[in-house]
Amino acid sequence: MRTTHVGSYPKIPDLPAPGRWRTAAEKLQRGEITREEFRRVEDEVTREAIADQVEAGLDMVTDGQIRWEDGQTYFARRMSGFSINGLQRWFDTNVYYRQPVAEGPVAWREAITVEDYRFARAHSPKPVRPVVTGPYTLARLSQNRYYRSFGEFVLALARALNQELHALDAEAPPLVQVDEPAILHHREDLPLFREATAALLEGVRSPVALYTYFGDARGLLSAFAEMPFHAVGLDFVAGPRNWEVLEAEGFPADRRLGFGILDARNTRLETVDEVLRALDRLSRVVSLDRVDLGPSAGLEFLPRRAARAKLVRLAEVKRAALEVTR
Amino acid sequence: MSELPLFPTTTVGSFPKPPYLLEARRKWLRGQIEPEALRELERQATREWIQRQEELGLDVLVDGEMYRGDMVAYFADELEGFAIAGLVRSYGNRYYPKPVVTGPVGRKRPITVDWFRFAQSLTGKPVKGMLTGPYTIAEWSFNEYYPTRRELVMELARAIHEEAVDLERAGARFIQIDEPAIHTRPDEDFDLAREAMEIVTEGLSAYTITHVCYGDVPRIYPKMLDLPVHQIDLALKNEDFALLEVFRKHPFTKDIGLGVIDAHSHRVESPEEVLDGIRRSLAVFAPEQVYVSPDCGLKTRTTEEAVGKLRSMVEGARRAREELRSGTLAPR
Repeated sequence: MRTTHVGSYPKIPDLPAPGRWRTAAEKLQRGEITREEFRRVEDEVTREAIADQVEAGLDMVTDGQIRWEDGQTYFARRMSGFSINGLQRWFDTNVYYRQPVAEGPVAWREAITVEDYRFARAHSPKPVRPVVTGPYTLARLSQNRYYRSFGEFVLALARALNQELHALDAEAPPLVQVDEPAILHHREDLPLFREATAALLEGVRSPVALYTYFGDARGLLSAFAEMPFHAVGLDFVAGPRNWEVLEAEGFPADRRLGFGILDARNTRLETVDEVLRALDRLSRVVSLDRVDLGPSAGLEFLPRRAARAKLVRLAEVKRAALEVTR
Repeated sequence: MSELPLFPTTTVGSFPKPPYLLEARRKWLRGQIEPEALRELERQATREWIQRQEELGLDVLVDGEMYRGDMVAYFADELEGFAIAGLVRSYGNRYYPKPVVTGPVGRKRPITVDWFRFAQSLTGKPVKGMLTGPYTIAEWSFNEYYPTRRELVMELARAIHEEAVDLERAGARFIQIDEPAIHTRPDEDFDLAREAMEIVTEGLSAYTITHVCYGDVPRIYPKMLDLPVHQIDLALKNEDFALLEVFRKHPFTKDIGLGVIDAHSHRVESPEEVLDGIRRSLAVFAPEQVYVSPDCGLKTRTTEEAVGKLRSMVEGARRAREELRSGTLAPR
């Protein structure tokens, strides 16, 4: 079993410590610091995010997505064909993102995540997983003013992001995480999702994990398991029905399961026993050595103190689980 | 409300705090200023905003919320059962203090009533009582105590109801209950939010308003019309009145708080723009249904921007009234 983070991390520390990222973002907006100076602040905060994960004892970390304003514009701003529109609610959260609008053919122009991945890897003693927003979710959360159909839009994004995965291939990451929460709310689009996944993964050598959250994979899990993903991530907090889904559909022995069991959206800290019981239940369906234990989603929904406590708890659970099995 | 003109003008609640108050609040956080000294500056800023609203010619006033930081954290601070967990990002570099429910929630004492009395004592115009709704307080808080969201929302509804009753007793003829989070889970939770609003407004004789902004309003329409309030206040301007199409399909049966001013842009709209917005809206609303308002609270604007925007709003509404009287106001 591995412990792993799966996404974002709070960009500012708890009060009264100064929120350097926030201050720098304000200064950048007012033109008081340069893009370069801001990037140095992002570098420092990224190192803090990595250090928190490493010190907590995680086996695999992310860069905390400190440089992401949100999961959509981080990609759309660096691709051609998009303009950026007003604020939209991100799923059922109180987090908002600026909505990308496809005004013309969308295309990959340059590596988006690679430089950030290199930086994180260079500053982490533990393996880092880069995260990419998947084509289906990116299309769902964007507005399409160009393509005749939603399907065409999704497939164009899949081809564009395929180039991003190829660019990451050159760095040989241990795993690339592709986030596709939107498919959980549009099960009827499974055939399109399958087609998009084929285009997304074409010729990609790195192991790729499909991560979903904010719901359950009813009617989807078996199909996910047949797609050439190395791992599938499920949210057992916002999607408690994932238990039934998993127990009814089973899980292939040659895939890893991303077990999102600590609530990324509530400060309440799960007890070690509570998580051990969940792991015990899980072990009847999935061998624990194929489990990536993590939070249910990115942790930027929490103040940093609470986010750090969740990470520490992951490592504590793993230690306790090893003792139980020993 | 017979003394109100046609197209009564009002605002959504918050106004920008003057620099001296922002400075005092910073000092207060660091423990460098006595609470009573801060209170006095809050009263001063409230007086200034009441006076400005009268000078601008607004019809239904607000106290401007000089004493509130955040619309949820303010109530959480005053209610039983809450602690402040820390800052959480909502978008860009905007953060809000997110409270955490750590025990049974309830009202310790009246929360906004003294501020309402104070503001109302300064003016002959009606001042709105301003509350944050139970669903939004619950949704924008962490919950470490209640097993379900429903239990938390219902308990909060009872607390906010008590506050609404006290506001009414203190003389409030308009009570606004903001529910900007109401469409967070439109299918799963709308009925819960409606039930909670039924508890809040039960037995009130005041004119009640709810303000909803951002998010997917069409998803909760027309069931939104089942909310037990007299008026629903909505942001029309920032999406260029796109919502009117939705209301065309199913008639809007409540009064509308018509957002005609973008609360999140620096640009000061012209009176013509406001007039145009009102004209367009009359394609789906009867004139008697329409209250004229900005899209949202103006606290993120500068005082100059806020005053400029409101001046145009009041002037646009005045011209709309005039056109209607002379028979030249044609719905577009």
